[in-house]
Amino acid sequence: MGARSLTAQRAGVEVAGQNLANVNNPAYARQRVAIATSLTIGTELGPQGTGADAVAITQMRSAILDNQIQAEASNRGSLTAQQTALQYTQAALGTQIDTLASGAEGTTASQGVGSGHSLSDSMSQLFNSFQSLSTNPTSMAERQTLLMNAAGVAAQFNQLNSRLNNLKGSLNSTIQSETGVANQLLTDIAALNKQITSAEASTGGAANDLRDTRQARLEELAKYVKLDLSNGNGGAVNIAIGGVAMVTDNQVTDSLQSYDAGGGQVLLRATTAGTPLALTGGSIQGTIDARDGAIANLQTSVNAIASALITQVNSVHAGGFGLAGSTGANFFNGSNAADISVNSVLLGDPALVQAAGVSGAAGDNQNALALAQLAQTKFAAFNGQTLNQAYSQTVAGFGQQLSTVNTQLGDQQTIENMLMSQRDSIGGVSLDEEMTDLTRFQKAFSASARLITTVDDMLDTIVNMKR
Amino acid sequence: MRVSANTFSDTLITQLNNLAVRQARLQSQAATGQRVRLPEDDPVALRRALDLQSEFSSTGQYTRNIARQTELAQASYTNIKALKSLSDRAGEIATQADGLKSPEELKLYAKEITEMIKQAVSLMNGTNRGDALFGGTATSQPPFAMSLDVNGNVAAVAYQGNTSLPETEISEGVTLTTQAVGANTLGTGPRGLVTDSRSGADLFNHLISLQNNLLTGNTTAIAATDRASLAKDEDNLLYHISSNGSLQARLETTASLNGARSLAIESQVSTEVNADLAQTLVKLTQTQTAYQAALQSGAKALNLSLMDYLH
Repeated sequence: MGARSLTAQRAGVEVAGQNLANVNNPAYARQRVAIATSLTIGTELGPQGTGADAVAITQMRSAILDNQIQAEASNRGSLTAQQTALQYTQAALGTQIDTLASGAEGTTASQGVGSGHSLSDSMSQLFNSFQSLSTNPTSMAERQTLLMNAAGVAAQFNQLNSRLNNLKGSLNSTIQSETGVANQLLTDIAALNKQITSAEASTGGAANDLRDTRQARLEELAKYVKLDLSNGNGGAVNIAIGGVAMVTDNQVTDSLQSYDAGGGQVLLRATTAGTPLALTGGSIQGTIDARDGAIANLQTSVNAIASALITQVNSVHAGGFGLAGSTGANFFNGSNAADISVNSVLLGDPALVQAAGVSGAAGDNQNALALAQLAQTKFAAFNGQTLNQAYSQTVAGFGQQLSTVNTQLGDQQTIENMLMSQRDSIGGVSLDEEMTDLTRFQKAFSASARLITTVDDMLDTIVNMKR
Repeated sequence: MRVSANTFSDTLITQLNNLAVRQARLQSQAATGQRVRLPEDDPVALRRALDLQSEFSSTGQYTRNIARQTELAQASYTNIKALKSLSDRAGEIATQADGLKSPEELKLYAKEITEMIKQAVSLMNGTNRGDALFGGTATSQPPFAMSLDVNGNVAAVAYQGNTSLPETEISEGVTLTTQAVGANTLGTGPRGLVTDSRSGADLFNHLISLQNNLLTGNTTAIAATDRASLAKDEDNLLYHISSNGSLQARLETTASLNGARSLAIESQVSTEVNADLAQTLVKLTQTQTAYQAALQSGAKALNLSLMDYLH
């Protein structure tokens, strides 16, 4: 009985030691040794106890919490990816209100309203240059200023388009690299399934530490893609992604593959099944959502504004006359934000800017005035807004999407903190508790040893009775 | 609730992080004086601020347009005023040139009129920044061309300009011009400064007629036609002087309204994007106090352990 008790208490000390050793391991769930009375034997006095046995080492885990945390990891992964992508886009957009900066017209904070540092400012400058030209249509200085400002607007459209394209390329690279990481995790989890099945079949108990590692891998994988889990054979976990089985028991049955769906749109499909995956969470889907949603919409809107600017300005400009009577020239070349540029012929000779409405009247400004008044023209294509208002609306709409993601992520953080706190409350290691257990088992071990010495003393007494 | 070894530290890290983010945001607001900088801060306020900035920029341009029109109006006024002085003197000569004057005296008057015509042509060919002031939109050549006879007297003055004027926008949708065309015999469009079919003004031809009548000593014609003709010219010049003054007053009023609008826009932008400094600083102090309290309580809680009491 004494020896059995010593073994049981030693197991308690070992488990407390294991818990203490893993106090800072985030994947670890504390363990408890289960001690039960050993078999009783029948005596004249009735059934008599034979001490206690350590019967199992159990893990303090809640399957419900684990599943919830893993599901929330997908939501958080998606929102974090969206937030990151949209914040990069916000930086690429370069629009901010800075009331301390010099404005487009050199106004300072004390005189003006600051600068928006954006296309909005540049377009205002362009239309103001048309106004200035209308007040002095024969001035080469005004014509030169107009062309420089127009080239500035064109360059800003080009840069914004280029930045957004680069950003989409970076997001595609992120999708590709995260797909590789997710595939590695699928392989790891299948291997862990195999180890768990094997360990539990041979020992009969739960392979707690392997299960901890697998749970951590599942939560890591869930950050990238939303998982559908089910129980496999012998303690294994089966994984399906987007309706396609990826891990069954200890086999990786399929894997994720990124592919270009056309036009640089990298998506995800199952390698073996070949079917495009309809993902509903995880950072990969979050990145795809941001790229094909907010960023694509932003690029479409910017292109629409650039196209309208080109078409409208060219339409008016072509009908005017240059200082020497030339007519019919376009002001802008190109058709959208990617290729907009100022007609190089005009850049070479500002006198060719067609500011006059009639031929042979150098001082006529009708065309310049009509071009300047495009700033106030409201377009049906932009819901009755001017070009500047359409850009402001585009920026505000984008800002609203980012703001919504920020709020959702804040809420998500709160939910995850609560779930983590609940899980920690169940499975987290408490130093005080473990030190108490250590002391408790140590005392019990000492007491069990004393039982053996007491029995030994009693046997000595009996043996020495003959003398 | 059961508290594990990492509960304190995890919670403390989360709380400190939240407070640090809040502190950083409030500190940035206090340093810049702005509540809204980026689209994500307040998309609706940012939208309104961008629209207001655009309007501010346009209003600034209208103010510059007004300055340019005022410059043109003042340049025109200087020349018209000088022309009016010449017209006044011509009227005086037409009144003084009666039958009591000797032919020599009349020829001296004629000589003075000839010089006055040349001076008037010079005034009417005046320019601003290289562009003719009174040629309509035909600004690249002098509006009036003068021809002399063999004796050096003025034979004719021809108008080479047109009757169109460039208009400038001085506030949204409102355009005007402060310039005048030299001559308009069409009966429509802007009133001519020296020749206008509607008012009967034709200053150069009337002066040439006076010059010729003075040379020939035809004082009867001077009294019968030239005086009345020159009176029409004077009325026409008075009309232009008055019109110029009215336009300058209108420009001044519009500039003043634009200035007031700019100030109003500044105030509106400030309302949209600026931070309430008092409120921001109070919140910052609150957050700093909470941060300090979290650090102190955290440090104490983390230091407590059963191990300190076990031997």
